[in-house]
Amino acid sequence: MRILLIEDDYLIGDGLKTGLEKLGFSTDWFDDGGDGEEALYQAPYDAVVLDLGLPGKDGLEILKEWRRKGRKEPVLILTARGDVDQRILGLNSGADDYLGKPFSLKEVQARLNALIRRNNGHTTPDVTYRDVCFNPHTRKVTQNGREIVLSPKELIVLELLMMNKNKVLSKETIESKIYSWDEEVQSNAVEVHIHHLRKKLGKNIVKTINKIGYIMEDA
Amino acid sequence: MKKNSLRLRLIILFVLISGIAFATAAFLSWKETNEKTDEFFDTYQMALARQLSSADWSSLTPAAQNITDKLIKHVDNADDEDEAIGFAVFNHAGKMVFHDNENGKYFAYAPAVGTFAEQFVDGEDWRIVWIASADGKYDIAVGQEMEYRRDVAWEMLEEFTFPWGIGACCLLLAMIFIISLEFMPINRLAAKLSRRSSDDLSPLDGKGLPTEIIPLTDAMNGLLYKVQKMLEQERSFIADSAHELRTPLTALKVQLEVLEMSQDDAQARNDALEKLKNGIERSSRLVEQLLALSKAETVQQDSINEPIFWQETIQQIIDDYAEDIRTKRLKTETIFEGNGPFQQGNPVLASLIVRNLTDNAVKYSPEGAKIILAIKSNTLSVFNNSAKIDMVHLKKLGSRFYRPAGQKQSGSGLGLAIVTRIAEIYGCSVSFKNVSGGFKVEISGH
Repeated sequence: MRILLIEDDYLIGDGLKTGLEKLGFSTDWFDDGGDGEEALYQAPYDAVVLDLGLPGKDGLEILKEWRRKGRKEPVLILTARGDVDQRILGLNSGADDYLGKPFSLKEVQARLNALIRRNNGHTTPDVTYRDVCFNPHTRKVTQNGREIVLSPKELIVLELLMMNKNKVLSKETIESKIYSWDEEVQSNAVEVHIHHLRKKLGKNIVKTINKIGYIMEDA
Repeated sequence: MKKNSLRLRLIILFVLISGIAFATAAFLSWKETNEKTDEFFDTYQMALARQLSSADWSSLTPAAQNITDKLIKHVDNADDEDEAIGFAVFNHAGKMVFHDNENGKYFAYAPAVGTFAEQFVDGEDWRIVWIASADGKYDIAVGQEMEYRRDVAWEMLEEFTFPWGIGACCLLLAMIFIISLEFMPINRLAAKLSRRSSDDLSPLDGKGLPTEIIPLTDAMNGLLYKVQKMLEQERSFIADSAHELRTPLTALKVQLEVLEMSQDDAQARNDALEKLKNGIERSSRLVEQLLALSKAETVQQDSINEPIFWQETIQQIIDDYAEDIRTKRLKTETIFEGNGPFQQGNPVLASLIVRNLTDNAVKYSPEGAKIILAIKSNTLSVFNNSAKIDMVHLKKLGSRFYRPAGQKQSGSGLGLAIVTRIAEIYGCSVSFKNVSGGFKVEISGH
């Protein structure tokens, strides 16, 4: 899952980026409103975490502009202004959820998972495919009830494929979802992750569609 | 009713003054009536004496007395005819030759012809006029009991003062009623005030109050307004403070969680620890600044009034920042050419101004920049090389908690607010200006 984080406070932005990455979200962090707004058009984000008081361009303005241009990415607003009017204004401007400061990282994670799940049409937190079950919040994978340990990137690839069951995802799409801009990507990175997934979960867990990409397909 | 009740005091005073006035009037009337009755009865006595003196007393036979006595006894109500008047006729030898068979027979012979004289007759005080008879052989005494005269005067006074007394009482009652009535709006105001809840600071309604009370309610409204402003300030200060603490708290919370998640990653753990440390420093600085501002908000100008040594203060603070100045390779310059924005005051507040301005200059200067601290006649200015500050931000500098969004430097947004507030205490003005090559803050005294 790839997250766009727009937050101008250095310590909060840095903490959120580091924390969210550890929790399995590839995160791109911008501390300027204008740059952050532009970033949404440049990569396939699953959700946006948006602070309201921003230099360059105000968070609410950015949000309105995105919605006006038809962007549907779920947006979680962060702000120090916790009063009801502000909350209503934020939600009316197109926000999907709202977190007042001081919040905790776990709260951000939970809200993001809920937003992404809802956006993908899932209602239960657990995602299942055949005998594999993935919980996006605990980030644990079980197969026939047995826990399988995966690396953070493998988890993201698995989550991505499970969330988009029966859809072919190109290598580029997967790449763009699992790596933020500040990470170096090796050309065969996706193949390596797929290889590890097959080794851990069974050869037939992911099907390769030649020259197109990968799919998790219901039998 | 309380001792200090204006209403009660007014009533008591009016009653006292009315009583004294009434008593004085009554006393004067009493004296006047006495004189007039004396005059009147003296004339009457004299007239009677003259009539008696014209009688032919030489031809009086001893039997005449008896006949007269009998005659008097037969006159109806002779005893009641009590004007307490009496007469007696004496010969020069002092022998009473005739009397009225009433009080006159007790008169003692003490002639002082042609005058009035007082005499005790039968234990009472009498006023007697002595006059010689027409033939000069007899002395005639006509007297009247003084007590009778006083009674008459007293009765006259009573009849005269009674209606006045009634009138005065009515007047007093009316006055008490009017005073009470006039005090009603004040009592109503007091009752309204005492019923007020502690957070109701709306102005008092002066409608229906006497014009004499209006200045009081106006003054009270002025006070209420000031209290309300102060309360609002306090409330917004507390709300702002709580609000401003949310951001550093969030940073601490998030970094702490990152630290918890980094147990097996030494590098990440150290990073998070370093950032936690920064976060805690930022929070402490914010709390410190909040305390400084709240102190500056409550300080009165006259509380501490010591001479301010600007030069020493500035040098001390530059020394405190020596480490930062060295690491950022900043060049500092000081100019001392005058007495500064104010010369007397609280040295702690003065050094707070210099410290906050120096702190900003050091923090926001690019590496290798120049900082100039200048004390001139009536001014203190701090200049530092920096990029031009946007007018939008420039206008808001000095407001509490104002920080242009996206600051990399940690700050509370309170430093310049504190400077502005302290300058205000000493009647100085503060200006923030983009000048050639940088940014300048100037504090000017009168």
